[in-house]
Amino acid sequence: MSVVGSVVGFMIQTLAVSSIYILVAIGLSITLGTLKFVNFAHAAMYLAGVYIGLGIALELQFSGDLARSIGLGNVGLDLGFLAALAIIPIITFGLGLLMERFVARPFYDRPDTDQILVTFGILLIVQELIRAFVGGRSLTFSRPAWAEGAISLGPLGTYASWRLAIIGITSVLVLAVYLYIEYTDVGLAVRAGTEDTEMVNLLGVRATRPFLVIFGVGSGLAGAAGVVGGPVFSVVPEIGVGVLVPAFLVVVVGGVGSIVGSVVGGLLIGAVEVGLVMNAPTWSSVGIYALAAVVLLVRPAGLMGAVEVDE
Amino acid sequence: MSEQTEAATPGESADASGLLDRWDGLRERESFSIAGAIAFVVVFPMIFTNLPAYNGYMSLVELIYIWAIFAIGFDLLLGYTGLLSFGHAVFWGGSAYAAGLFSANVSGEPLLIVLVAMVTAIVLALIIGILSLRRGGIYFAILTLAFGQMMYFIALGPLGGITGGEDGFTGVTVDPLLGALELGTGFAGVLGTLLHDIGYVLFAGFFVLAVAAAVRIVRSPYGAIFQAIAENEQRVRFLGLNVWRYKLAAFVISGAFAGVAGGLHTIHAQYVAVGSLFWITSGDIVIITVLGGIGSIFGPVTGTIAFLYVENIVSGEIAFWLLVLGALFVTVVWLFPAGIWGIVTGIRSTVREQLLGDDS
Repeated sequence: MSVVGSVVGFMIQTLAVSSIYILVAIGLSITLGTLKFVNFAHAAMYLAGVYIGLGIALELQFSGDLARSIGLGNVGLDLGFLAALAIIPIITFGLGLLMERFVARPFYDRPDTDQILVTFGILLIVQELIRAFVGGRSLTFSRPAWAEGAISLGPLGTYASWRLAIIGITSVLVLAVYLYIEYTDVGLAVRAGTEDTEMVNLLGVRATRPFLVIFGVGSGLAGAAGVVGGPVFSVVPEIGVGVLVPAFLVVVVGGVGSIVGSVVGGLLIGAVEVGLVMNAPTWSSVGIYALAAVVLLVRPAGLMGAVEVDE
Repeated sequence: MSEQTEAATPGESADASGLLDRWDGLRERESFSIAGAIAFVVVFPMIFTNLPAYNGYMSLVELIYIWAIFAIGFDLLLGYTGLLSFGHAVFWGGSAYAAGLFSANVSGEPLLIVLVAMVTAIVLALIIGILSLRRGGIYFAILTLAFGQMMYFIALGPLGGITGGEDGFTGVTVDPLLGALELGTGFAGVLGTLLHDIGYVLFAGFFVLAVAAAVRIVRSPYGAIFQAIAENEQRVRFLGLNVWRYKLAAFVISGAFAGVAGGLHTIHAQYVAVGSLFWITSGDIVIITVLGGIGSIFGPVTGTIAFLYVENIVSGEIAFWLLVLGALFVTVVWLFPAGIWGIVTGIRSTVREQLLGDDS
């Protein structure tokens, strides 16, 4: 394989890994930037994406003790992967609206630590509900048949079509949200809110509605990440935090509040992870933290971050 | 005698409030908390192991002391300084590994093991504290969580050869205390009923020490600054104090408590599991401290008893104890931020108002 081929191969793997982190990170980054809200329960949206998505695409086996005691069997719509990818963002968008209205909003005026604690508690409840109903063992979220096999990109080599599918899906979603935030009134209010929330309120803009919508959009992306990530990462109740931590690192590295920041941060985190998996597998899970540490020391606000979220 | 009888009828309630005042004066003293801790370690096992249903056992009592030290230290950070760390498993697990490695390769003397564990935790807390405090406020929880997970993956991957990787570290060897006192040696007679064995004295002793140290810190001028930072960080900065330095100090002190607890846990369990570094351990100590009640010394102790009792005894009855605990946790954060201990002190002051309310 040529040098060009191996570079392209590395890039495609990086993009595939980064995609999932970016999808989760955008929601975190926006709520941090606009609402100054640290949302651990964002990982619950990913979990909802994985598990409900599995039920829609294929079949979800309820093998947890609680499900068995009430005689709940398997539920599966068997509609296929694309149907799950279309339905899940709508469901998690709705869940996001509910979460903003009934969990986040009562806590906007409370101390940061209370916000973090309550969202952590909700993540814990969702995780344990999954364990009680679906069970704690790892499930298989099979790839759709159309994405099996490989695609030849001429002289650049042959690549797993699944990776290319992930990259394509993520690009479309991220681009759509980017355009939404850049070119709509809601997006304008959100961007203004990131710059200076107090000023937006003083100018008489009712920012409640845009914040609600953007919370939902972030949740929708996290749900989509669950559908895309289900076949990539393991399907266990603890995977929520397993994805949340790298997504947080993406926000730390890229800087808060901007989609470009999340994309840049996500690509860097993905590149470090893939590079280490290829060259020094034992260090593969450690490198991304080292990257975050270096960025913190050199540029505490993150690479693309102009806004410093403080206190 | 005659004076007493003369003043008896009108001074009834005044006498009661005088007694209460004296009681308050006593309670305010630092030695009261320490005496309370000593009384607690003598009485607690008798009650705990003889509950009418689902009674505890001695090994769990010792485990409660160890986790309580961890929780007291965590509350110095969360309750008193207002910093929420989601990476305290690093200090608990990191020091536990250091203790295990030290016991296997250098010396099995329990006191030295605890010392090594504490020093390890202090060094780790300095490094992680400096990095995590680079960003203010809400980033602290995120960064401590991230660096906590980093240590977990380091222990699992690159250091797997020394730590035993997924199997955990099994080579722990604990020698007799001070070279002569075997930890399993029981006492005879009254001492046996009160203090059980050498091991119990070791764990209970460190628990009392931890309470004493925490009370001293909280009541010192230095500790007052921690509490001032939690109240209003900006004002502390206006006073010309270096807030960052005090935050780091609180983080390191809190880490040192976790280190002592981690070292004791290695002695107690004779084994170090890699899960001790996982984020779930960090989450457990958050739940314990918040459930029990932040901003007090005995709140975290209450939380530890409740959590370990549910985890080890009640879990056999309720399979979904963690789900129940999660729901309870959210309820406490939402409605009773002062925790179980806050509810207890709330009831106490209501009772007192009722007692004194008649004459006012």
